[in-house]
Amino acid sequence: MANVIIEIKNYSWRYLNTTSPALTNINLTVEEGKFIGIIGPNGSGKTTLAYSLDGLIPGQYNGIKEGEVLVYGKEVEQYARGELQRSVGVVFSDPESQFTAMTVEDELVFGMENLGMSVPEIRERLEWVTELTDLKPLLMKPPYEISGGQKQRVALAAVLAMTPKVMILDEPTSMLDPISRKRIFEVLEKLKSEGSNTIMVIEHSLENLIPLADRMILLSGGELVLEDETRRFFQKMPLLLEKGVHPPGSMQFFYELTENGFISNLLPLGIDEAVVELEELVGRKSGYGDPR
Amino acid sequence: MDTSKPSELTAEQIWTVQPGEKRSVGVIHIVILALLIGIGFVVGAFGSISFPLGFGVNFFWTGIAVQQVGSIWFGLWGVIAGFIFPFFSNGIAGTPFYVSLAYIPANLVQGFLPAWAFRFFKADPRLKKGRDYVILFLAMIISSAFGALYSPLVVLKGFGLLTTESVPLFIWGWFGGNVVAGIVFNFILLRALSGVVIRTTAFVKKWWA
Amino acid sequence: MNKTMLGYVPTESPIYEVHPFVKLFFLLIVSLYPMFIAAPEWNALLMVIIFILMWFSRVDLRTMRIYIPMFISMGSIIFISYVLFGGNHPEYVLLARVFVINIYWERIRDAIVVYFRILPMIVTMVFFLTTSRERDVIVAMRSIKVPFVVTYVFAMALRSAGMVLEDFHIVREAEQARGFDTIGKSLAYKIRKYVMYMIPLFALSLRRSEEFTNALVARGYAFTGEVSRVKRADYLLTHYSFKPHDLVLTVLVGVSFVTLLFFKYGLGYFNLDTSIFINWLFRIIS
Repeated sequence: MANVIIEIKNYSWRYLNTTSPALTNINLTVEEGKFIGIIGPNGSGKTTLAYSLDGLIPGQYNGIKEGEVLVYGKEVEQYARGELQRSVGVVFSDPESQFTAMTVEDELVFGMENLGMSVPEIRERLEWVTELTDLKPLLMKPPYEISGGQKQRVALAAVLAMTPKVMILDEPTSMLDPISRKRIFEVLEKLKSEGSNTIMVIEHSLENLIPLADRMILLSGGELVLEDETRRFFQKMPLLLEKGVHPPGSMQFFYELTENGFISNLLPLGIDEAVVELEELVGRKSGYGDPR
Repeated sequence: MDTSKPSELTAEQIWTVQPGEKRSVGVIHIVILALLIGIGFVVGAFGSISFPLGFGVNFFWTGIAVQQVGSIWFGLWGVIAGFIFPFFSNGIAGTPFYVSLAYIPANLVQGFLPAWAFRFFKADPRLKKGRDYVILFLAMIISSAFGALYSPLVVLKGFGLLTTESVPLFIWGWFGGNVVAGIVFNFILLRALSGVVIRTTAFVKKWWA
Repeated sequence: MNKTMLGYVPTESPIYEVHPFVKLFFLLIVSLYPMFIAAPEWNALLMVIIFILMWFSRVDLRTMRIYIPMFISMGSIIFISYVLFGGNHPEYVLLARVFVINIYWERIRDAIVVYFRILPMIVTMVFFLTTSRERDVIVAMRSIKVPFVVTYVFAMALRSAGMVLEDFHIVREAEQARGFDTIGKSLAYKIRKYVMYMIPLFALSLRRSEEFTNALVARGYAFTGEVSRVKRADYLLTHYSFKPHDLVLTVLVGVSFVTLLFFKYGLGYFNLDTSIFINWLFRIIS
């Protein structure tokens, strides 16, 4: 069984001067090397959860905390300043707000310098991360003069360069066009294939997220409503729809087919699987295959 | 931890570190320092370019709002920003570097005095009572008077940029330019935004945190 | 073209061969020269030299146009201050009397001296701004071991100034889209409008502080604690090397300053008594 690196036990968080908690009684474990998708309507506590794992909460925010958030067996508050962020990296939704340097290169190098890496190490890591995110031509450009998709890749690369063991991405593609969004997920796919990171992605774009996610989490109203392995997660279609989550059209279509008894398999997670499933179904209906 | 809503807080509570409350200098304060310098740069340059008297002295210096409001909210971080950003805003407007350097004491006092007055007299940054207005106004007047006397007399005269006879013009220009702009901006900014600022971790109760 | 703090410089410019420290050193030292030079012709020569350096660096000299109104207004203020507010000095040479104002030669002379002192200081600053990128200033500061937090604050301040300007334009455009415009309106109206711009500018900057802080903390930066004492690699400096010609330039600037002091205090140069221009002007006017 894989190593559990994140444990959240009965965790609640209420921001100061608010009446209701942002998160209520969250219980969650995350195993090393997994790709976790976190979804939910706006205001459901996804960002608060992400910040809680990185120590930004309660470090940078005032509020009332109950329960425990353990990363690598240690409470987040017990980490010294700057220490937890070496293991847990966060990419925020607005890339512009993360840029404080004059050039893309400076932006990428900043985190590595904070880690105390040497120049040769930085050079090597820079080479790797710019190759992975295709940022080499942009290194000398000011980060605020590049496109939205490029900015988000810079934000991602800046965190990746620190090689945190856990990477949390908070709506990394919310401000991107479909092509740029796809490029970000291609990078995530490459990361997943390397297997050295635990990745948690908060997203609304389920088409790109689902094929990569090992497990899915649904938050609603600050509560953890559903958490399961991806394929089983999406079997709970009525619950998802009730909570304002809209799975891809192909998945909903196949759910209707399941409800009407045409198929009994688990729902396909993407277009490719849906096509295969449909071919099989059409084959059966026209007599080429097992009768139902 | 005091979980009262900002609207329920008294001026005393705003400035007092509550039992069990932990406050420490953090990255947020460095960021605030940088952002105040940035705002001051833009806003101060606007005043220096739009209403110049000469050598960084202006008839209507909008930078005073950043110096004084920034210092009230953010303590010494605002005071430091208050004497750094004039280098940039004056520099863009053509004031020599060494003149800006010599202005430091004036800019320091202009930021420090309102910050001190609010903390010492426990004035409400949200300006809830007449007393708060009076404290702010007096702090503005006294600090600008110091700046107005120091800068033309010590700096400009010392650099030989002014004659003795023209010093009064610059004294009144500095004083008036700061006080008028302060009256226009300080009160409105404090009333409009203090309620939000005092809720943030950036807000400074003492001098550094 | 590469963007500098004030304009653009072609990529082929020789200024890129100069280490940023030398540029900063030049600014700080050469800005001092006019303080020790009273004779206007020498300050004018200094200005010409700096213009030549700007031309050699392939700076677009039209950038100086934006400073022309400022030069004119500053000259006027100095003239008014010295000549019209010259006071009553029987020991001075009275050139004319206009109503109750005495026009003295010494006041005119002093106004010229002051004006020609200020001009090269400003031109030196402009030379620095037009040939340096923000990164250069940071490299210069890091080269002389200025603490990282200071250089980082400086970089963030420049960045935030740009963002405040952007915010200002956005707020202004939004207001204009709703029919609010300050063109042709009274001064009081304009001031009221600018007051209303200040509030969102401050509010946006405050919100930005939270986002910036989160970003810095998320990348492992800490201002206090053990982590803040980590030795930084200063990767940025690896792109710049202090070459022999940089050393030569630095020594040249330093030596010229010492030479200037020697000529001024040792040999009595650069004074008004020996100023060709001042003596010529006095002959003309009187």
